[in-house]
Amino acid sequence: MTPVRVLVVDDSALMRKLIPQILQTDSSIEVVGTAMDGNFGLRKIEELKPQVVTLDLEMPGMGGIEMLKEIMRRHRMPVIVVSSHSTQGASVTLQALSLGAFDFVAKPNDVSARMPQIAEELIGKIKAAAQSRGVIVRPVGEARRSGQKAPIDAKRAPTKVIAIGVSTGGPQALQYVFSQLPADFPGTIVVVQHMPEGFTEMFARRLDEMCAIRVKEAQSGDVLLAGRALICPGSRHLKVKRLPLGDVAVLSDEPRVNGHRPSADVLFRSMADEFGPKGLAVLMTGMGDDGAQGLGAVKAAGGMTIAQNEESCVVYGMPKAAIDRGFAVRVVGLDVLANTLQAQCMSDRRSIFGSEPGESGKATGAGRD
Amino acid sequence: MTQFPDERGAEMRELFFETAQELLQSLNDEALQLERRPADIELVRSIRRIVHTLKGDAAACGFRELSHAAHQLEDALALESSSTHGSLAEVAFTAADTFGAMLAAYRRKGKLPSAAPLGKMIRELTQQPKTRKRSKKAVTVAVAPATWSEYETLAIENAVSRGKSVYHITAGIDPHCAMPMAARQLVLNALNASGEVLGARPEAGSPESAKRLELLVASHKSAESLTVQCRIPSVISRVSVELVKGAAAKAKKVPAEGPHRAAGAAQLSHPVAPESGEEHGEGAKALHAPALAENILRVDAERIDNVLNLVGELIIGRSMLQQAFTEFARHVPKEALRGRFSDAMAFQSRVLSDLQRSVMKIRMVPVEQLFRRFPRMVRDVAKQCGKEVELVMSGQDTDLDKSLLDVIAEPLTHLVRNAVSHGIESAEERVRNGKPARGTIHLTSYHHGNQVILEIKDDGAGIDSQKVKAKALEKGLLTSEEADRLGETEILELVFRPGFSTADEITEISGRGVGLDVVQTVLHRLKGSVDIETRAGQSTTFRLKLPLTLAIIKALMFRVEQRLYAIPLNAVAEIARARESDVHQVHNYEVLQLRDQVLPVVRLGRAPSPEAAAGSGKIFVLVIAMGERKLGLIVESLDGEEELVIKALDDQTVATDLISGAAILGDGRVVLIVNLPAIVDRHSKSRPQAAEGIVSGILLSHADRKSVGPGPAEVHP
Repeated sequence: MTPVRVLVVDDSALMRKLIPQILQTDSSIEVVGTAMDGNFGLRKIEELKPQVVTLDLEMPGMGGIEMLKEIMRRHRMPVIVVSSHSTQGASVTLQALSLGAFDFVAKPNDVSARMPQIAEELIGKIKAAAQSRGVIVRPVGEARRSGQKAPIDAKRAPTKVIAIGVSTGGPQALQYVFSQLPADFPGTIVVVQHMPEGFTEMFARRLDEMCAIRVKEAQSGDVLLAGRALICPGSRHLKVKRLPLGDVAVLSDEPRVNGHRPSADVLFRSMADEFGPKGLAVLMTGMGDDGAQGLGAVKAAGGMTIAQNEESCVVYGMPKAAIDRGFAVRVVGLDVLANTLQAQCMSDRRSIFGSEPGESGKATGAGRD
Repeated sequence: MTQFPDERGAEMRELFFETAQELLQSLNDEALQLERRPADIELVRSIRRIVHTLKGDAAACGFRELSHAAHQLEDALALESSSTHGSLAEVAFTAADTFGAMLAAYRRKGKLPSAAPLGKMIRELTQQPKTRKRSKKAVTVAVAPATWSEYETLAIENAVSRGKSVYHITAGIDPHCAMPMAARQLVLNALNASGEVLGARPEAGSPESAKRLELLVASHKSAESLTVQCRIPSVISRVSVELVKGAAAKAKKVPAEGPHRAAGAAQLSHPVAPESGEEHGEGAKALHAPALAENILRVDAERIDNVLNLVGELIIGRSMLQQAFTEFARHVPKEALRGRFSDAMAFQSRVLSDLQRSVMKIRMVPVEQLFRRFPRMVRDVAKQCGKEVELVMSGQDTDLDKSLLDVIAEPLTHLVRNAVSHGIESAEERVRNGKPARGTIHLTSYHHGNQVILEIKDDGAGIDSQKVKAKALEKGLLTSEEADRLGETEILELVFRPGFSTADEITEISGRGVGLDVVQTVLHRLKGSVDIETRAGQSTTFRLKLPLTLAIIKALMFRVEQRLYAIPLNAVAEIARARESDVHQVHNYEVLQLRDQVLPVVRLGRAPSPEAAAGSGKIFVLVIAMGERKLGLIVESLDGEEELVIKALDDQTVATDLISGAAILGDGRVVLIVNLPAIVDRHSKSRPQAAEGIVSGILLSHADRKSVGPGPAEVHP
């Protein structure tokens, strides 16, 4: 196999040396060049034709965001953002993801001590990026971006609790799906998105600004409210729990599962335990197989399970793991996922309305087991 | 420190130190700009970017303290309130200094300086004046920041709607309690009997849970009775019960030792973090983006020196070839191949010249690298002295050999510092003399022939030569007789004499002289010179002249007592022919009438016998220009020009400072390179006494004593 050709763009001379050194420990990756800012980076893309670009967002001259926009416009190649922990860093990183960056690797503050893990993560993501069909930038739905949202009605119980597990490609995909949901969305959503601590809060806030439904980072004891999505904070696990006064989200610090915290498997298992046949779990784009077993548990408990289809996945890893094992009741494209979720939330009211709600019928692979 | 193998880690750290130094320089530059344009948001962004990179690099190398400090600053800079803060530039300066000190400590593995003062400044930056008051008040209230979760809030309202009161109970578990975990259960049991526990924290089993317990309890009972319930002797040390929300208006608040909580349930909170996500870099191209080229290689200077050495050998090789060819041509004048040889050699020679120039260019760096530090320094020194000084720099792109740049840094810094502290007068004095209150220092660099000139000019009061003279006399540096003979320029040059002035005497003589002898020593070592120009009440200019490079010079070769010497060609102003009889003696100095000038001369060889001196024997005089002074060197014969690759001589080989190096010619002969500044120095310092007669043969005498010269083997590098 020919090695993956990588271009490293970073304004720090140290990083331009360090990152190639890390990558070159893996023989299936070849760093074909480095660039110190966006202008040089774009020139080198023309010249060297890399398959994957690692990008620092904070650069003088043409910065990372501008360069990313250009790459998405001209080359559509996967870009992995190398970002750092800071308020500013998280915000810009998420902006990059919504512009179509493939994924990001966060440099924690004790980066030198955790170099092996970071190296492994970066190498894994580069390989996945090289094989991915790329991130498709979808226009955010017609959701109101006007800041005014009605205060949430704490009394309105959700018709359905939806658990979502997602990894690489998730920020883009969730943004797309959530922006299509109306403010009066009757279900409630809990999300495990593989993302490090410090980024999830900003991520939730961005989604909240962009979408009609409310989105917030989950805190232990948050009530699952209709029209709201809770995002699990990085580095903690999220479970759902039924309590007399309502259903709640519970955070815990148990060990990593499948190498992840949060892990979709943990969320899905709690969904199966607590909600049984009323559970609904959705496994979306991402590397690895986190969530597949949990999806199986939800299905085994009689709940509904949905996996994102291959065509619309940035990385067809986690859904594939579930589909291959027969854990997905339905396989659905991203385009119709919002509609499918709405239909699922309505289905409990079927008797009230007396008619089958429209399900758009476009769901690919519907009914596939 | 890092996970890398030692060798690679060391390499990384070295690279880090180097790039970090550059980042700090940029930080200083931007801070200076910011001081002038405090509201420029682009500058703040640029500073944040620099700090960001420094943070990341430091973290990657495992320098946590530095990374942490930089992180704090970066986060503070992301806040709008702090980025418009008036003292931001000051914080940036402090940060640059603190980071610099930390870097230095890391480098020598020494004790880290405290970053606390910087941290304090950063905190002040993030606290706005109006919020400062409020935060003080908040502290007293929010010691126990127990906010209830959404579900707990729901449960509170639910309980209240059922007619119960909800209390917040804080219980401290007795440190002597044998089973703290059981204590928790005891309290819970007691309260379950008289109410409904809606929530408990900290989580059971956590280390905190062995020390205290916080409960949310809904009950029909009063706070007093709940307090009594919780008081379990030798298990619970203290209890505080507060009403959170309740229908029971009659329930009185219990005077509690614990902190007070504002009544009322916590709102469904939505965390509000500082606004920071403005469009990054949107339409905001840095105007002063560094014009750095990509593809910059960082190469060890030693490697370049190796190449340069090899080029030097090649140049020697070329001379060898040329000499061999000349001889060959003499032997076989008719050989047809001669033309082709000659062409090939001309070609080779041209390529070699290009190669040499290219290699020299690698070593060349713009003086900007050196100048960059001055704006900050001038600012700081001016501030210390309470003066207003503006630094105007020009010619930053003038190239200079890197090794020269490193050596000249200290003397130049010294001169600039002097110009601010002593050259420029105080604002009051300036205004009194009809000058603008703000003084100006011009720092200029340019190429002049084969030299680089660095000028430091201040528009201060100038140097009073009479005072200099008086001081020199007082110090016994010269006799009054000598003093009378000295011209204006020579008097000024006295300030370069060692021991001319000390710090406490500065102000009396308009403040020059501290360490100026060091400046001159360094310049002479570099085969350069320094001179002063001053206009009373108007300006003082120090002009440093440096050779472009140290390694290869165009030289003029000559003979003294049959031995071969050379001097840099650019030092030679003129070559004159004269007769022995043209040389006269004045005050034990020899002088030569050259056109309308009287030129002091130095004999490098032996003085001629009295007969010869009166005769018409022809001599060559090399007229040397050192700074403002001219001097003639009397030599026997000239031996042509040559490009010489200078080889250093160690002290073992030559014990005199009159010889600065040696070079090998194409035919293997060795030529000694004369150190002109030392000769000039010797001439001006020597105090000829009548008995000893005229200074002469200075080269010879030293050469004899140390037997340097003829044998190539002796000085072969």
